[in-house]
Amino acid sequence: MLCSSSNFRRGPSLRDLKVAELDDEALREQADALGLALRVDELRSIAQRLERAPSFVELYAFDAQWSEHCSYKSSRALLGRLPTAGPDVVLGPAEDAGILHLGEHEGERYGIVIAHESHNHPSQVVPFEGAATGIGGIVRDVLCMGAEVVAVADPLRFGSVDSGREHQRAVARGVVDGIAAYGNAIGVPNLAGDCYFDGDFDDNVLVNVVALGLVKESEVIHSRVPRHGENFVLLLVGKATDASGFGGASFSSVALDAQEAQSNKGAVQVPDPFLKNVIMRASYRVFSLLRERGIEAGFKDLGAGGIMGCSAELCSAGGFGAEVDLDSVNVALDRLLPEVIAVGETQERLLWALPEEIVDEVERIYNEEFSLPQVAQNARAVRIGRATAAQRYQLRHLGEIVMDVPIDFLTGSVRDTLPVEAPTPPPMRREQDLHCKRSLDDLFHQILAHRDVCSRAPLYRHYDAVVRGRTVIPRGEADAGVMAPIRGSRLAFALSVDGNPRIGRLDPQRAAEHAVYESIRNVVAVGAEPIGLTDCLNYGSPRDARQYGELVAGVDGLARAARDFGLAYVSGNVSLYNGAPNGHAIPASPIVACLGRLTDLSHCVTLPLKEIGSHLYLVGETQRALGGSVLASILALADEAVPEIDIERIVAEHRFVLAAASNGLLRSAHDISDGGLFVTLAEMSFGALADRRAPIGIDLDGYAGWSAAGRFESAFGESGGIVVEVADRDVERFEELAGALESVREIGTTIAEPLLAFEDEAWEIADLHRSWSRPLEELFP
Amino acid sequence: MKARVAVLVFPGTNSEEETRDLLVDCGADARIVHWSEAASLVYYDAFVLPGGFAYEDRIRAGAIAAHDAMLDAVIEGAQAGKYVMGICNGAQILLEAGLAPGTGEIRRPTAAFTHNAQGHFICERVLLRRTVPATRCAIAAALPENLLIPAWAAHAQGRLAAAPAHLDELDRDGYIVFRYADAAGATDAHLAPQGSAHGAAALTNREGNVLAIMPHPERDAWNFNHLDRREGSDPLAPSGGSVLFKSFVTALERL
Amino acid sequence: MERVFAVELKIPDNEAFTAMRALQRLGVAVARVQRADILLFTGDEGEERLAASIERDERLFNPNKHRLEHVPSAHPREGEVWIEAIDAPRSLPMRRLVGWRLYDNAGKPLGNDDLDAACARLLCNPAIERAIR
Repeated sequence: MLCSSSNFRRGPSLRDLKVAELDDEALREQADALGLALRVDELRSIAQRLERAPSFVELYAFDAQWSEHCSYKSSRALLGRLPTAGPDVVLGPAEDAGILHLGEHEGERYGIVIAHESHNHPSQVVPFEGAATGIGGIVRDVLCMGAEVVAVADPLRFGSVDSGREHQRAVARGVVDGIAAYGNAIGVPNLAGDCYFDGDFDDNVLVNVVALGLVKESEVIHSRVPRHGENFVLLLVGKATDASGFGGASFSSVALDAQEAQSNKGAVQVPDPFLKNVIMRASYRVFSLLRERGIEAGFKDLGAGGIMGCSAELCSAGGFGAEVDLDSVNVALDRLLPEVIAVGETQERLLWALPEEIVDEVERIYNEEFSLPQVAQNARAVRIGRATAAQRYQLRHLGEIVMDVPIDFLTGSVRDTLPVEAPTPPPMRREQDLHCKRSLDDLFHQILAHRDVCSRAPLYRHYDAVVRGRTVIPRGEADAGVMAPIRGSRLAFALSVDGNPRIGRLDPQRAAEHAVYESIRNVVAVGAEPIGLTDCLNYGSPRDARQYGELVAGVDGLARAARDFGLAYVSGNVSLYNGAPNGHAIPASPIVACLGRLTDLSHCVTLPLKEIGSHLYLVGETQRALGGSVLASILALADEAVPEIDIERIVAEHRFVLAAASNGLLRSAHDISDGGLFVTLAEMSFGALADRRAPIGIDLDGYAGWSAAGRFESAFGESGGIVVEVADRDVERFEELAGALESVREIGTTIAEPLLAFEDEAWEIADLHRSWSRPLEELFP
Repeated sequence: MKARVAVLVFPGTNSEEETRDLLVDCGADARIVHWSEAASLVYYDAFVLPGGFAYEDRIRAGAIAAHDAMLDAVIEGAQAGKYVMGICNGAQILLEAGLAPGTGEIRRPTAAFTHNAQGHFICERVLLRRTVPATRCAIAAALPENLLIPAWAAHAQGRLAAAPAHLDELDRDGYIVFRYADAAGATDAHLAPQGSAHGAAALTNREGNVLAIMPHPERDAWNFNHLDRREGSDPLAPSGGSVLFKSFVTALERL
Repeated sequence: MERVFAVELKIPDNEAFTAMRALQRLGVAVARVQRADILLFTGDEGEERLAASIERDERLFNPNKHRLEHVPSAHPREGEVWIEAIDAPRSLPMRRLVGWRLYDNAGKPLGNDDLDAACARLLCNPAIERAIR
């Protein structure tokens, strides 16, 4: 049923756009002048549905709400292909964050809230603020589910940062400083992340962020007004609204060029982690108040679309309309235009939907006990409106109605159908071993020093990995970060984030599958059982059929791999229009996070070798496929196939590794990824150096004994797999457990000499460490 | 009766829970006291200022918090002989408040934990060794000689700086309770990851009842924080850096 | 000769707000606080060339959030104090200080007594910093 617009009485100062009176060209011109990204057909459909000229406030509201960022109009249909249900899924991707079941402790079921987003475009324009507000936003997504925020992670893709590339270097440094400044100050440990440097990100870095929270499953707060919530009060909490984020919602949906980056300065979002720290702690107090009183409420983060977007979605998700009075909003500046107050994206704000009986107490917690107005200028909790039975979304400003639209029309799904071009078929696998004139020695050092391989410590040591005191494994000490979030419990979770742009450039579908496989493999390598996934789809323009085709292939790859591994996605995000001003898109960059569960954290396995006389096993197969490998990029090999994912074998391998870990048979473990097996082994041997222990070396058997491919593929191929260390005393039990699994082969032993010995080569571990540990020190001193 | 320890929360503090938990596990009756409850501080036997970013380190780390009403109670308590331990941001606050090294006037600092030599935040594992006699600082008195205490350096402003003559005085007169050490127990100044003067990781006052320690022993304080170093079979048992907290609680029990 | 530039935020400055609140709690009659990075160059380089070099250096300046201003005097103005770390590295081509500008209720630069109090009690730790007036 169409709602009539009869409620709408035009006030004397109302500004509107006479859509019906303008031809297409004039309409486009006027829309451009207003800075609206809405298309002409979209403008006409709004005017038609409202049966009148839309007000400026309404135009900006639809502009935000129907932007790619809010509506997912180019990707929503595709996202339906992703599996989202499973035994460990407590809440799928319908709200601000998803929830996975971690386990039970003292009769309570605990869930891990997980959210995954991108903050790519803002980080390109103002790296420090962009990256910091990325952390700020994702933390609110987790907080508003009623959870205690316990960890963040950050997958990063920077441009080429060779010497002389000052802009790219400044962006990389600014991003890392921004993540550090925000995450460290709010006291949420940075548990995982990855980082690639590639010239194809020169004009468009990727800053993805993941946040995790801990919640009792019985105490989840949803991002909607509860069913009985008619007349619930909308209580806005946080920073005073200013003009700083106006235009943000449209901003992230348009490709960037330098001039635009300049003119977008109004869209700079200013982070305030100090205020956030206090809001988080005040909100925890509110959570316990609501629990004590048995009150059900709605809570949602203000992101794209500001007050309007958040209040509309919070109410409409509960089946209600909303009335909001913009005059009651706490503002930082006088005379802000109503559209700025309505859709501006000032940071550090959240919106509660609460029953009247509790509002005063909640206001008191924020404003007095936690003294928000003292912490930031005019920050506070303030009533701004209510949920209504009428299915309208209504805004008032200076006593006038400035917006009055059917709420389902505003928040309902808009979908674009777009032409798709399938990606070029990837190369086939070679039948012969690689012939290469370079020496293994020379290549090994070059690979260890490669920017995608070398130590990330100079970067991640900017981040607090251990605040809250519950970190079990910080970054760098194993393949996934591990945390024990519940005091008094042995339950722990593991987190890894992955996605390889070198594969993305070659084969978008396989890149997505490998992102899933690698994140799962990393979680398995610490002995944790994978329980769920999130994804962030970073791609080029959906208006370019080929770039859109990469997105389609990527979603198919994500869907297929997750089904194969029996896992679901509980949260995700799509970031489009990533590329250079000349239209050249970034490499297809599906980035996946995998969450794993350890019922007993003592079964956790770390990366460094532990003792001399251990046996090293490779769990996995080597393929004659170097596509996407560091070796292929160093040797500029074209026509290399991307390794296949032999799902049945890999699932069996993972089951075996988990069984070995839980039986205490693994002394250390490390997966094979960027740089290949030799890098894996070298990194395992570096651990003793880092711990200032006596070094442990490795003596490898000849590759012919454990690899079906040639020596270069065996040493540096990136087909996946996990290397595990088994103590001599455990070998029999380990091999018995492996049983008929053919892809478990002994490849060598650990030795007292500080060497990595292979055939006629023997590398000093200290030399390898020198090549590996230093390259990023000069970028992140 | 257990000693009552207040764990102070300023706006921006972020390490209050693990600090409280470890004090409890080490036998104290520790409670978190929030800045709006400053008046209740007089009822506590001892104070711990945990890590974080009080006022987000604005102006200087610890500068604003040193003037907070909560510090009035801490200063009064310290002058009356109560034990006060500040960790990381808490240590910075104690220096800004003039309680450590305490050689000048209150709230007129003579030294500071200031910007790291590398100019940014660092987060890394460190080892600490007490380099003064056991009797010099009551809070650290129960620690065995030469014990290496694991901790995390996690700060952007952890480099002790002051006028050179004052630094020499602090060194000579036993104010530098802990220094950064290597696995062999050496404490050369260059082992301080942020360039701290004299390799200093912690300062006390003349009376030895105040300890301002930059690295976090409480973040490597249970077996699960460092599975490869596990002591005993229970992964949830205190270990590692908890020895300093045990020493703190022991000192309180002897009062 | 010395040339001085101020790099100011054109986005809201949270730190200045907190400094103002803290000073007010200490009884300093301040109603507005502005903060800037003060860059102090010594040498013959011309003003325009220096300004251009600052604007090119992304470690110092981002046009999306900063405004660059040439400061005609090599000394702080009325109501203003510059804070410099005593052991600041001398390897940079310029000295980098933090400038605080304080205003009273009437919108006038803060008087000397109040400014002295603000420095001594909060803005400057003399153990590690010097205040330039």
